[in-house]
Amino acid sequence: MEAVGNPGKNVPLLTVRGIYKSFGLNAVLKGIDLDVMPGEVLALIGGNGAGKSTLMKIIMGIYSHDSGQLAVNGEAAALNRPAEALARGIYMVPQEPLLFPNMNVEENITIGFDRGKAELHKELADTMAGIGWNLDLSRKASSLSIAEQQLVEILRGILRHAKLLILDEPTSALTFDEVKSLFKVVRDLREKGIGIIYITHRLAEVFDIATHVAIMRDGMITIQGPVENFTREDLVKGLLPPDAADHTQAKGGASSRVDYSAQPVLELERFSGYGFSDVSLKVWPGEILGVAGVVGAGRTEMATTIFGMDKALGGRVLLNGRDITGKKTRQVIAAGLNYVPEDRHLNGLFKICDVSANTTSASLFGGALGKVFLNRKSEFDLTEKYVKNFRTKVTGHDQLAGSLSGGNQQKIVIGRSLATDPGVVILDEPTRGIDAAARGDVYHIIHQLREQGLSILLISSDMEELEELADRVVTMYQGRVNAEFQKADINQDNLTAAAFGIVKREAKEA
Amino acid sequence: MSAVKKFFKAREFTSFLFLVGLFLIVGVINPGFLTLDNISACFNSSVVYTLIAVGMAFAIFIGEIDVSVGSTMGLSAAVAGTMIQNGSNWLLAFLVAILIGVVVGLVNGWGVAVMKIPSLIFTLGTNGILRGLMYLQVGVEQVNSLPKEFKDVSSMTLIGSFTIYYCCAVALTVGIHFLLTRTKRGRWFIAVGDNAGGAELVGIPATRTKVMAYLICGVLSAAAGIIFASRIGIVTSLSGNGYEMKAVAACVLGGISLSGGVGSVIGAGIGAVIMASISYLLVFMGFSSNYDNAITGVILITIVVVDALMQRRAAVNNRHARLAARTSAAPGGKEGLEQ
Amino acid sequence: MSEKSPKLGGQSGLRRLWNGPNFRWNFFLLILLAGECAVFGAANEKFLSLTRVFTAANDFLPICMISIFVTFVMITGGIDIQVSSIVGLTSIVIGVAWQDFGLNIWAAVALAVVVAALCGALSGFFIAYCGVQAMVVTLGGSFLYTGLALLVSTLSSTEAYKGISGFPDSFKALTKIKLFDFIPLQIVIFLAMVVVAHLLLHCTKYGRKIYLVGVNPSAAEYSGVNSRLVIMSTYILSAVSAAIAGIIMTSYLGTAKSDLGGSLTMNIITACVLGGTLSTGGKGSVLGTAMAALAIGLLRFGMPLCFKIQAQYLDIPVGVLLVVVVVGRAVASNPNVIAWFGRLRGRGKESRIGA
Repeated sequence: MEAVGNPGKNVPLLTVRGIYKSFGLNAVLKGIDLDVMPGEVLALIGGNGAGKSTLMKIIMGIYSHDSGQLAVNGEAAALNRPAEALARGIYMVPQEPLLFPNMNVEENITIGFDRGKAELHKELADTMAGIGWNLDLSRKASSLSIAEQQLVEILRGILRHAKLLILDEPTSALTFDEVKSLFKVVRDLREKGIGIIYITHRLAEVFDIATHVAIMRDGMITIQGPVENFTREDLVKGLLPPDAADHTQAKGGASSRVDYSAQPVLELERFSGYGFSDVSLKVWPGEILGVAGVVGAGRTEMATTIFGMDKALGGRVLLNGRDITGKKTRQVIAAGLNYVPEDRHLNGLFKICDVSANTTSASLFGGALGKVFLNRKSEFDLTEKYVKNFRTKVTGHDQLAGSLSGGNQQKIVIGRSLATDPGVVILDEPTRGIDAAARGDVYHIIHQLREQGLSILLISSDMEELEELADRVVTMYQGRVNAEFQKADINQDNLTAAAFGIVKREAKEA
Repeated sequence: MSAVKKFFKAREFTSFLFLVGLFLIVGVINPGFLTLDNISACFNSSVVYTLIAVGMAFAIFIGEIDVSVGSTMGLSAAVAGTMIQNGSNWLLAFLVAILIGVVVGLVNGWGVAVMKIPSLIFTLGTNGILRGLMYLQVGVEQVNSLPKEFKDVSSMTLIGSFTIYYCCAVALTVGIHFLLTRTKRGRWFIAVGDNAGGAELVGIPATRTKVMAYLICGVLSAAAGIIFASRIGIVTSLSGNGYEMKAVAACVLGGISLSGGVGSVIGAGIGAVIMASISYLLVFMGFSSNYDNAITGVILITIVVVDALMQRRAAVNNRHARLAARTSAAPGGKEGLEQ
Repeated sequence: MSEKSPKLGGQSGLRRLWNGPNFRWNFFLLILLAGECAVFGAANEKFLSLTRVFTAANDFLPICMISIFVTFVMITGGIDIQVSSIVGLTSIVIGVAWQDFGLNIWAAVALAVVVAALCGALSGFFIAYCGVQAMVVTLGGSFLYTGLALLVSTLSSTEAYKGISGFPDSFKALTKIKLFDFIPLQIVIFLAMVVVAHLLLHCTKYGRKIYLVGVNPSAAEYSGVNSRLVIMSTYILSAVSAAIAGIIMTSYLGTAKSDLGGSLTMNIITACVLGGTLSTGGKGSVLGTAMAALAIGLLRFGMPLCFKIQAQYLDIPVGVLLVVVVVGRAVASNPNVIAWFGRLRGRGKESRIGA
């Protein structure tokens, strides 16, 4: 590996100074400073929307930055295109590897090179021998496990003489053994002087693998330094807003108005499916139950499985005492449960349909809109009701949903679910990607719904949001519920710790 | 899983076995079929299909389709045929025919890759234009008095009872196969169809590759036209009509996935032989050739449905395995309890 | 909010109509139709005789009838290239069932429709429930149903190339009767199909589901729409429309043949695309397709009549039309072009204000 024989161990591989980036009015990065030295594994931690992936995309040249400087090996670098970043020895292994599924491993690694095939093959073999990997080069990429696909991506990076590897949540889809072998690889690379930025959601991994750590929150780096300077508690604190402690005090006394002696509306009994396992929880009438956790904790999978989109593997779901496990989506909606999907664009919105078609799309079965023919009056009334109640800004019912702002689109999607008159609504990340004003509106809607006696399962990665809205919160970690918090215990400190897999004893007992 | 993998690994080999099986079954029913002459006739008669199917394979590799190949072939056959009939230099006629293929390929490539128009729609349009131009060229009269020497080339044999044309087509197919699998740029076609986003990220020019695929498709179709004129000896305004469908069917039979990125031109060649042989085989089995279309349809639908079901199953299993991996890690809160 | 209530205005009714879905495109089609009439009419006044148009309509009515239902398929994001083979299958089933199996002619017709519906259902099933690309399945379907038609024709004592003829008058009357001694019945049937299709697509819950499935199949599933059933049903509808076209053609020609309708595919797809149907799904209208199909029909009628162009060459103008429309749309939806037009319009306004 001649790539590693770099001059001067003291010149940082990558220097990031004062990077700012906004999308429209939304400031995503607010002055980022970061250094990565050769042989350093920098763990980059942060909640959803903290700006990690934006920063990485800027380093990779996929996005341009508004202001600030980047330098590679001490030389200022523009990094405007991915090709430029590649040429300067930066390689990112994305969370979902971008392989060619129908090509074999060797073809996947060597495609896009200008060098001769024999030469590449030799180098590849040498590299693999050097690291001590055994990967059958003739296997098809589609037959590889995620861990193996990541190895292939890493090999691509090494063969391109990458000096800085960015690993984006590499362990999120790995089994325990695969994680172990990945860590071994990371250590090997570190030995060889390659710098690594390791993005993760799991605090435990930081102490296993990283030499340095940086925590991002809200577009800024709050904590940065060698790992041994910090404890887990320090890291959790870094993930929280500075005034979180005050919040804890102020909200601590608020009591819930929910009648917990009544029969629960929604009950999960040891419910299991793909991506989550053994989940038991209850939602009472008029209650907002928050479900906290990090991306990939199995919350969305649980919700969509309740909603009949995927196969349940065990346990039961009771809605008002009726078993709805394994029912089709239509039957679940008819039984009185609806779901507002996490990915608005993929699963929620009909972009080239108008507002009224969107709002009424889930009400097409049953008699609400007429038997065979669409009752235009009912359609109009239903649409008008939700446009008005939610103060959705539209030029008319015939405006196309795709031309609305994110916040208004979200209101339309929520309206669609409520138009079926459900008793329970599952809201999956209802405020992701919308601006502050629209967020306030959505909160207002959620409060309104609770007043009306609806039960809400609120899936959110935004701990502040849960603190503000939820009557009770459960946290999920790696597919299981690992903690439950009553109103008095809901604070960002507790939720964040539990979402990252650290459960304090007193919370567990509560 | 492993059975599925193996199947995908040897798609064109499966097609070849299918072809051999077909011959054997016919041989059992009618032993008179199993002579070298009959079998080579099956191969020889597939030469036009082979060229068009190999061209079509390029369009399908990149995840698109080209339904103008039949008319491209027809037009090139008509133009080259007329020129040769009128005593022009053969080489000149061939060049003009190939030029037609180049122009058609570039236009199709521009529409699909640059303008990003759905390929079926765009090539359907160029198909109509080409078909109309063919009427203009051939008109009511047919090209039917081609010189004997030109027609005779088609019956000259090179190796055993295989014709020069078929040997050339096989050599060409094998050559293209090696270019596609052994050279850097050759692999771009499959890569673009396999994962267009990923291809761009490793520096493959996707648009240019797509235009190139259509160009090759046009040229091969035009070449098929010349051979068609020589073999059949008559070019009418309907020549080549429906060949696009046969070419797509040949590709599918040869194990090329219509979603792009899978298959080989060898497969397309084998598929072409199957397509060309079916009616011939039916005769030997004592069926009328009326069964030709119906049987083609049944085979085609069966293959794509089975393929789609297997692929979908693999995708679902894959997703579930990934999700299951997340929960099978440490049971919840394990780390917390260590504290 | 109430003053912005969409029913009451803010915009004038006319303006709303103008901005409404499909309207501008349909307006363009109307102009295209008028333009054709003007050009052909000026070239040869015979073109303007309705009786002649009605007679010529028999040649392009199948395109019109089938394309309005293929529009349904394309709105769901699929495509149907097997319909033309179903036309022939229908025709030969009627002929053989009536002549060689002694069925009552209307029973034979009903049988043919059922057979067509089953063919559509089979292909639709593979597309919707097995997830195979519509293009391939209907390609296979076109081979299969053409082949079946051929096989059915061998059941008959009549040679296939001759076709089965001698149908009873009641069947031929389908295309002989004229309403008010003027409008042929088949035109009325076509208009009825347009009305039914329009109501079905634009005024029923079923039609709404077709759009939703086409715009975003995943979101439709999350709305509880049974996307698969909806998709399959559109193939049945297009197959039945092909059957009706086959019946009309058989009645008009007086002969049942297995290869009727063989060359319709390109015209049908062209009509759908020209009619404003998005080939990626989610957009399209019955009126648009009907007008586009008429425009193609008039082209096929007017070109030979007025400019002595032989019928075989008509693929050129139809192909050119298709290519020009799709390229034009691709250019028009290019953000750079839109921005350029925006600037142009902005400048126009400024200069007007300046003046």
